[in-house]
Formats: sequence, structure tokens, C-alpha cells
Amino acid sequence: MAFDWDVIWRNKYLFLGGLSVTLKLFVLALAGGLPLGIILGLGSLSSRRWLYYPTRAYVNFIRNIPLILVVFWVYFSLPLISGRSLGPFTSAVVAFVIFEATYFCEIIRAGFQSVSKGQIQSAYSTGLTYFQMVRYVLIPIAIRRVIPSLLTQGIVILQDTSLAYVIGLREFVRTAAIVDSREVRPLELYSFVAIVFLVLCLVGSLVVRRLEARDRQRV
Amino acid sequence: MNKQDTAKGSEPMVQIKNLSKWYGDFQVLYNINVQINEGDCVVICGPSGSGKSTLLRCVNGLEDFREGDVIVEGVSVKEVSHNRGIYKLRSKIGMVFQHFELYPHLTALQNITLAPRKVSKVPGQETEKIAMELLERVGIPEQARKHPGEMSGGQQQRVAIARALAMKPDILLFDEPTSALDPEMIRDVLEVMVNLAKEGITMLVVTHEMGFARAVADGIIFMDEGKIVEQGDVESFFKNPASERAKDFVDRVLVHI
Ligand SMILES: Nc1ncnc2c1ncn2[C@@H]1O[C@H](COP(=O)(O)OP(=O)(O)OP(=O)(O)O)[C@@H](O)[C@H]1O
Ligand SMILES: [Mg+2]
Repeated sequence: MAFDWDVIWRNKYLFLGGLSVTLKLFVLALAGGLPLGIILGLGSLSSRRWLYYPTRAYVNFIRNIPLILVVFWVYFSLPLISGRSLGPFTSAVVAFVIFEATYFCEIIRAGFQSVSKGQIQSAYSTGLTYFQMVRYVLIPIAIRRVIPSLLTQGIVILQDTSLAYVIGLREFVRTAAIVDSREVRPLELYSFVAIVFLVLCLVGSLVVRRLEARDRQRV
Repeated sequence: MNKQDTAKGSEPMVQIKNLSKWYGDFQVLYNINVQINEGDCVVICGPSGSGKSTLLRCVNGLEDFREGDVIVEGVSVKEVSHNRGIYKLRSKIGMVFQHFELYPHLTALQNITLAPRKVSKVPGQETEKIAMELLERVGIPEQARKHPGEMSGGQQQRVAIARALAMKPDILLFDEPTSALDPEMIRDVLEVMVNLAKEGITMLVVTHEMGFARAVADGIIFMDEGKIVEQGDVESFFKNPASERAKDFVDRVLVHI
């Protein structure tokens, strides 16, 4: 059996559409998951019990269930809560934000803990408020120290986006399945999808290493 | 001490009144009473673990305390420590730490300008000008664009002093500012501190640099196990310390230098 790579070119618009859904989901998962992760990270370090315990309960609960269940759970329960169907894309975004935030939380928490007590005290000693200290001292120092882990997690999220397949989201992998059902060229189609993911992740890793090298002497 | 004469009639700059503090069940500070007049430089010394750093941090409300109070320029630290008043109070009290504690992601200049920009909302250009002047004053204007990781310990500590001065504080707290430094850098930092003391800024300095104490301190406090054991004039402390503990301590530090 000969490879027929033309099948991809013939369906390029479908693939572009699928890829853009994947990338949108990825960007929104990051844009929502990272800030929520930072907030959860702050809660995880709080000395106030009413903040600390709920935060840790949430993080430990979500981190210990498979992402696919969170995706299903959001997809089927959100309409019950909100009273209307939100569709697979919104459901996927919500599920990813809920889930990835807990991983970001754990990474950022480690970053927060690496900031010395003295650096925080010196910020306070100049008159900075709690929020100013967090915004201008704690977060910038912590994030810089955990950038490699954050970007690694970013790559994991990119790959995880394909799980939204299960609720019918037409992302990149599902696009391949749809095309395949018409063209019956699974080998070419899925190889192509794999190569695109591989290239995206390799580029991501390259960026990680660049940043690591740049920041090494600084922090 | 003629500095005291000028302050006569007015309240002392800092009053620590019957201050006691516990960490859990462990009492760190026992009924501390200290008065610091405007323009005075007071040195605190004593063995490790005697509560010097803790006492210093009570003055700007970085630590809370159970009993007594600290009055800074007429403001009760205890009262403002639960509201936004504490931020205002702290902006008038500069602090310098043993391990510098500069912000590693910012340049020397940015370390100094952060508080003026964010707390006092002074425009960026103006704060840069002030920061450059401060760097000149501590003798390292050429380090302005460097990050802390690219500077020596002595340079970092001088940036930290400039940062503490940036909010134009009335009081400066120093917590063993030279004890993490190599010997050849200690002098540079002490020189800056001596100049500050001579300019008449009110200072509370935890240090074992007895040369510094003898040169500029208006008073000295010796602490041990959370208590003030001796408090008074620098020369008489060195010549005839009243307590056995202080005698031991003086013998050891003097041998050391
Ligand atoms: N956060 C804390 N929790 C519990 N105990 C503490 C805490 N910080 C300090 N201590 C204890 O309080 C005592 C006083 O500590 P402090 O750091 O004030 O001493 P110090 O005189 O500054 O000592 P050094 O010369 O070593 O810096 C010590 O016994 C120390 O172990
Ligand atoms: Mg100390």
C-alpha cells in the first residue's frame, strides 16, 4: 500500500480549522489556568485556615482525578448548573482551566516557597502593601524560578487538548478522525497529526531551554 | 549628648514600652523598654538567639507582639498593625538586612525605585534621579544597571541601604548589615553607615562591629535571652560592663577585632 500524502493537502482547510480549535483551547487553558493557579498558590501558603483548607482540598481533589473525567463532568453537569448547553468548546475550556490550575498551583507554590522570607520582609519594610508585595516581588521572582516547569506543563496541556475529543470537540485529532471516516487513510492522517504535535512541542522545549539559559545567572 | 538637648521637650522618636513577645509557648522578648531620641544612633548587641532581630522587626510591625507597645513618632505600632496605617508607618522606617534581600529580578536602580514608584506614586523619571543620587551617596553609581546577582556582597548591601533610604525614612533599622560580608567589604558598608549616623538620621543598629559602636553610637543595648541586660553609654559599657554576661561578651568581641 502506497502512502497518499495528498489526502492532507485535499483537506487542508479542515485541518487548519481543527488546529486553530486546538490552539485556541490551549491558549485559553493557559490564560485561565495560570492566574487561577497563582491564586490557588497564594491560598496554599496562607496562614488563614479558611483560605488554606478549602484551597488544598480543591487542589488535591482535582489533581487526583483523571482529566478525562473532569472533561466529562463539566460537559454533563455545567448545563444542569447554568440551565443551558454550553457546547463542547466552552465546556472543554472550563474543564481545562479547572484542572490545569491545580497543576500550575503546585508549580507556583514551589516558586513562592523559594522566595526568601527576608525578600518579602524587605518589600514590606519599604511600605508595600500585601498586594503590591505579591504583584511586584513575590510573583515575578517565583515565576522566573519555575519557568521551565511551567513551560513543561504547557507542553503537557497542548497534548491534553486532544482529550476534548471525547465530548465531540472538533479539535485537531478529531478532525483527523472525521477526515479518515471519509478517506480511510488512517496511517497518513494520524502520522501527520503526530508530526504536527511533535513539531509544536519541540519548538516549545527549545524556547524553554533558551529561557533557562538566559535566566540562570539572574535568579 | 547635645543631640538630646535639641530633642528636649519633644517625644522620643521611638519608644519601646514593656514589650513582651512569644513564639507559641516560647517567650522571646521580656518586658523591653527602650527610648531613642531623634538623631540618635543606638547599637544593639548580644549573643545569637537573644532576640535582637525579633526586637528590630517589632519596631516596624513585621512581627506582632502580645504585650506592651512600640510608639514611633507618636504612632502606636500595635494600633496600626491591624489596619492600613502600618504601611504608612513602615514607609517612614527603612530596614537593612543581614543577607541584603535585594529583588533578584530587578536592577540596582529598579530595586531602589520600586517603593517610591508604587507606594509614593512618584513619577518614574523623578525616582530614577533620586535613585542615582542615592547610589552616588553609597559610592556605587556605576552599578545602577546591574542585577544583584552580578554584584559583590558589599555592593549589594550598599544598594540595599540606598533602597532603604529611597522612601526618605526618619528611622533606619539595621540587622547585622556586615556579618555576611567578606572583611574587605565590611569597611565600605560601615563607612556609609557612619556617614548616615553623622548626618543625624535616627538609627537602630544590631551589630557586633564594636568599632562602629564606639565611633558613632549614642547608646548601646546589650541583650541576652530576650532581656535587656545593659543599656547606656558606649564607653562605660566597654570599660566596665556591669554584668558578668556583658563582660564575657565584651572580652570576646574585642579579641575578635
Ligand atoms: N519564627 C520563629 N518561630 C519560633 N521561634 C523563633 C522564630 N524566630 C526566631 N525564633 C527564636 O527566637 C529567638 C530569638 O531569635 P532572633 O532571631 O531574634 O535572635 P537574634 O538575637 O537576632 O540572633 P542572631 O544573632 O543569631 O541573629 C531564638 O531563640 C530563635 O530560635
Ligand atoms: Mg538576628
